Amino acid sequence: MSDDGSTLIGEFLQGEGEPPSSWVMLVMGFVSTMVFLVLYGILFPNSELPVISSVLPIFDGVFDSGIWFFILGAMIGVFAILGTMLTEATSE
Amino acid sequence: MGIITSMAAFWFAILVVFILVNRGIWVFTDVSKSMSMFMLEKALGPPIDFVDGKSGSAATTWIIQGALWVIPASIITFCGLWLSHDPEALHSLSSWGLNPASSSLITSGFLVAVYGSVGMLLIGSSMHIVPELGGTTLATEKNATLMSFVWTLSVLVMFIAANKPEILGIRIMPIATILTSLALIAVIVNMLLTAASRTKKMPLPAWMLIIGMISAPVSIVALAITCSLGSGTGQWLATRMGGTTFFLMMSGAILYGASRGSGNPLWSRSLAAVTMVGAIFTINPSGLIEGEIASDFLGISSATFEPSRNDIVAGSFLLALSLIPIIALSANVLATMRGDDVFIENPDSPGMPEINLAAFMAVPIAIGGLFVLTDHLTGTNELTGIRTSLVLMGVWVVFVPASLGSALSIFPEVSGRNVISVNRSRWAFWLMAGGAFSGLAFTMMADFSDTALLEAAVEEGNQTSNRIRVLGSVLFYGTVIGSIFHALNMISGSFRGTLAREGPGPSSTSISSPYKLTKETTVRKILAQREGKLDTVVIPESTTDLPGSATEL
Repeated sequence: MSDDGSTLIGEFLQGEGEPPSSWVMLVMGFVSTMVFLVLYGILFPNSELPVISSVLPIFDGVFDSGIWFFILGAMIGVFAILGTMLTEATSE
Repeated sequence: MGIITSMAAFWFAILVVFILVNRGIWVFTDVSKSMSMFMLEKALGPPIDFVDGKSGSAATTWIIQGALWVIPASIITFCGLWLSHDPEALHSLSSWGLNPASSSLITSGFLVAVYGSVGMLLIGSSMHIVPELGGTTLATEKNATLMSFVWTLSVLVMFIAANKPEILGIRIMPIATILTSLALIAVIVNMLLTAASRTKKMPLPAWMLIIGMISAPVSIVALAITCSLGSGTGQWLATRMGGTTFFLMMSGAILYGASRGSGNPLWSRSLAAVTMVGAIFTINPSGLIEGEIASDFLGISSATFEPSRNDIVAGSFLLALSLIPIIALSANVLATMRGDDVFIENPDSPGMPEINLAAFMAVPIAIGGLFVLTDHLTGTNELTGIRTSLVLMGVWVVFVPASLGSALSIFPEVSGRNVISVNRSRWAFWLMAGGAFSGLAFTMMADFSDTALLEAAVEEGNQTSNRIRVLGSVLFYGTVIGSIFHALNMISGSFRGTLAREGPGPSSTSISSPYKLTKETTVRKILAQREGKLDTVVIPESTTDLPGSATEL
């Protein structure tokens, strides 16, 4: 083993740890949605969003308290467990 | 009858049961064994063939169902805490005929947590611990697996009963009691048959689990014989004895879990004996403060709590003495986990942080319980306001972590696989522990604030208290997320986790992801590039009885 005091590493190392593509898609989707909403607000100020603005009033009276957002999160968790049980039991 | 008479009947009954379990019942022992085995399997007919009878299946089924019950328990408790500052939050459910209130949700959350999660996790753990310590196998895996579903049904009925006590004029809670008793008696008989076939002397944790289970029906019989169940004091004592049942089972499970998870021997057998005997001879502060719940379970009318002077003295004395077994348990578990040095062994091993938290928090919560219970017993009622948050803290910071920790530490042995991710297990612990502790601490602060204003007779609403309650309930949501993480980890682990029988490799390092090297390099450069550590795990050689000799160099 030689040690000539050089600060150069001199090798090429390649890591294999990359984010899963599902996470990449999720982040890209989130960023795209945000960009779209900001652009829509700039281009069509004071205008309601098509379709979404007519669907949301259906949930009036349901989502009138912050607790529903927490319950929604818990429901996602419960469905994640159900999904895990189904996929684990049926996977080969 | 007074508290001392009822307690004396309980002590005598437990002594008789202990002698009978050890000595058998004279010439009827063999007959009772074969008869019990027949009742547990063949007598049940076709349903018994629906369940699996392979080794470890009963414990796994109980443990996974217990872990799943933690989720609804935490969600219901969270909703109860939220409704305490925003009573109209769930008013939209009234269109379905549901009108949930904070108090009923908190009570049902407590029952689901205690019977659904804590009860199932501890019974599941006992189905592994008792046969393991007795050097035998569980008498009948099939019956034990089947009874887990009966127990789950009883918890479901219990939840309905806590929110809607009567349906079509029928009281619901006694139905839950019948179902629970049915499953518990089957489990007790199963455990006794297992203990009867033991091939070696069983250590104390196994006895704690068995006596803990038996103490539930024995305490009710003892109170019925002394005609105490109709009085307020008797009902209060029945609630306290329910706490004794869970405390004894929890003690057995965490003493085993602490030793098994850390790899250290149990620190002190004497302290374990003090815990067991002390729990039986004293009045445990665990559980709900009032005795109404006992009357609900038994389907009898609730009586006014009017203890006599002797009852107050005897009750306060026995309550104060209960700190001895609790401190003994806490010290024993913590010392076992630490072993010969100052470090906790395997601190990242799933289950160990939970056991550590439970052992650490048991003493302060018990002291708080003593204050509140003595306040209730003497009729002072100055600490009424903090009862609920203290009881919830006892459940979510001591009993749930203790039972979950014990179950997690034996999970690889019973299911044959490890949990899917140690990292997720660590996250789940911090979310559950942090959420429960901080959320309930803030709720308790709001309780104190309300109590102070009530004593000062301030008529205006307490805005500060409401704001603190918001914070408390939001923080408690961490417990919900943590419980989901734990359940996901165990379910995925039971399918895809690494096999438990596969021992660790000859050495391992903290470098988790592989490199693709294009030419030779040095260890120093690899360590400089990534988060690598020189934590080489040393695996000992298998032990041998051959005499030792000098090491050849």
